[in-house]
Amino acid sequence: MLVYILRRLASAISVVLVTIVISFGLFFVAPSDPAGMLCGVKCTPARVAEIEKSLGLDKPTSEQFALYMKGLVVGRTYESGGVTRECPAPCLGFSFKNDQPVLGTLIARLPVNLSLVFGAALIFLITGVTVGSLAAKRPGTTGDRALVGTTLLMSSVPYYIIAILVFLYLVIQVPILPRPAYVSPFQNPGAWIAGMITPWLVLGIYSSTSYARYSRGSMIESLSEDYVRTARAKGLSDRRVTFVHALRAAITPVMTIFGLDVAGLLVSSIFTEKIFGLQGLGITALQSLTNYDLPLIMGTVIVGAVVLVIMNFIVDVLYSVLDPRVRLV
Amino acid sequence: MSASGDVAQDPWSAPGPGPGTGVATVPDAEALRRPSDSPLRTAMRRLRRNKMAMVCLGIVIFFVLIAIFADLLTKLEGEVLNDYHLDLVDDYGFPRIGPTSDHWFGVQPHDGRDVFARWVYGARPSLIIAFIASLASTFFGVLVGLVSGYLGGRVDAVISWIIDLVLSLPYLLFAVAMVPIIVSIAGGVDNVTPEGNAQIRFFVLLFVLVFFGWAGLARLIRGEVLSLKQREFVDAAKVLGVPTWRLLRRELLPNLVAPIIIQFTLALPAYIVAEAGLSYLGVGLIDPIPSWGQMIDAATNYYAADPLFLWLPVLGVSVLTLALSWFGDSVRDAFDPKARR
Repeated sequence: MLVYILRRLASAISVVLVTIVISFGLFFVAPSDPAGMLCGVKCTPARVAEIEKSLGLDKPTSEQFALYMKGLVVGRTYESGGVTRECPAPCLGFSFKNDQPVLGTLIARLPVNLSLVFGAALIFLITGVTVGSLAAKRPGTTGDRALVGTTLLMSSVPYYIIAILVFLYLVIQVPILPRPAYVSPFQNPGAWIAGMITPWLVLGIYSSTSYARYSRGSMIESLSEDYVRTARAKGLSDRRVTFVHALRAAITPVMTIFGLDVAGLLVSSIFTEKIFGLQGLGITALQSLTNYDLPLIMGTVIVGAVVLVIMNFIVDVLYSVLDPRVRLV
Repeated sequence: MSASGDVAQDPWSAPGPGPGTGVATVPDAEALRRPSDSPLRTAMRRLRRNKMAMVCLGIVIFFVLIAIFADLLTKLEGEVLNDYHLDLVDDYGFPRIGPTSDHWFGVQPHDGRDVFARWVYGARPSLIIAFIASLASTFFGVLVGLVSGYLGGRVDAVISWIIDLVLSLPYLLFAVAMVPIIVSIAGGVDNVTPEGNAQIRFFVLLFVLVFFGWAGLARLIRGEVLSLKQREFVDAAKVLGVPTWRLLRRELLPNLVAPIIIQFTLALPAYIVAEAGLSYLGVGLIDPIPSWGQMIDAATNYYAADPLFLWLPVLGVSVLTLALSWFGDSVRDAFDPKARR
């Protein structure tokens, strides 16, 4: 077990390191003029040089990279026009645009993504597994075929199209669903739910179709097992056989996909954020692109990769507890 | 659970990529020579009998024809792509006219460009990108998977690590961040004409899609090769002294026809969705190259006044992906009827 965890950890760390190197190479080597952009229209060459010096842009790339890495591990200090600023341990630098610390900006936006994924995941897991299990009990019936047909239809239409149409017609034109906005759940739980319910429903119901399909397939398999027949022969109630005995075996593969999906959604809910106007990580990346705000872009990508890698690591370890065979691979 | 099912049973009967592969080398396999026994042909026969698949194929062909004859259709309407009609929009940017005989689907808000022309030309980049990206990612995926799975050892360890790396990157975030950066590396933005920039974007988008697209197939092919290379016919070929490259191409590749075709057809709709999605986010195709994703983004502010402008690209993307992915599902069913849901 320990060997497996260590091996997975090593590969997770290597992925993070490579992500940092690749994104640094891509973003800081790209020909751009951040100093000139920061300086604005009325800019003297002396001021540009000063800004470049304070950002460390005048140094060779390898040295800049070393500085960036040092900032990530032990923090670094920036000097600009006589003012010194501390940037503590995981230092992602300061935004070129508004001079705020990048890490602070990203941490401020992470709750939006967490809330979004939390609610949507709850919806798609519960509805998906319930609907899938019910359909699996009577495969081939009208209800089952309707379900399979609907899930196929839903999953073939791109998510963003459905989200756009729901937003335009059910939120704006005929306001059935409340207008999305993020309010911290610790300030006002009611407003938090009201503000997030629309994206939760759209994302949750859209994603639940694939969960219905996975759990249907998985349930059909486990319902045909011998122990299910035994349970029925013992005289257990139908509900108990389906939702306790069969579901327990059928849920394992579904949970693996669930873990990976949650991890993926956490960092790539960019369409949901743009369509519903939520200020999350994805929209931050999109906005920082228009401003060419390199530290912010890089910070978003690194934070996204780290979050994803950590989540994948947790899923893998949990899965290896559930199914010890994977450790041998 | 092998996706290739019956294909893997008989390496000799599967037609290779080139003409005249293999069959004659098995003297005692009379039955296998009958064309109807080739798994590819069996699958094609099953596919042709599938009405749903044929309807989907018809829809796809319809869009392909629209893309091919985009100039002709626009000429028929009497319009030119990207011609501005500022007289047809009011001071607030709303179009003054609906569909007319001059502008079949009306004009765009803001600049009064003809919606019909933008829509028919919009089918082009969508289909071209989907097709080239699918071809390229299939090619690289198969190549890498074959080499990695067959050679094994250190090569395999390194390649598998790279595959895992690509698959574990946050794809959407990376794609969004990469596009403008690569554009500026490729020399875009300030010192290039709008047309030049749009061209650069086109190739950068292709690059990004292929960059993230090959790894999944490579992993699948690697797995198949790992199990295939234990088989006797591979040992036999090795004993005969068949060079590695030839062995990969002539012995292993024909056994992988089914998963490759299935993955290729399923990649097409995925790339259409990705292209339109990235263009919607503003990191895909840009003006003056028309794209459905861009149109959807522009239309969200005018959806009530100009519903056609929103619904045409929405229908274009949805119907095309729907038809392509259902066709892809039918192709999978045709190769492996057991996998049918």
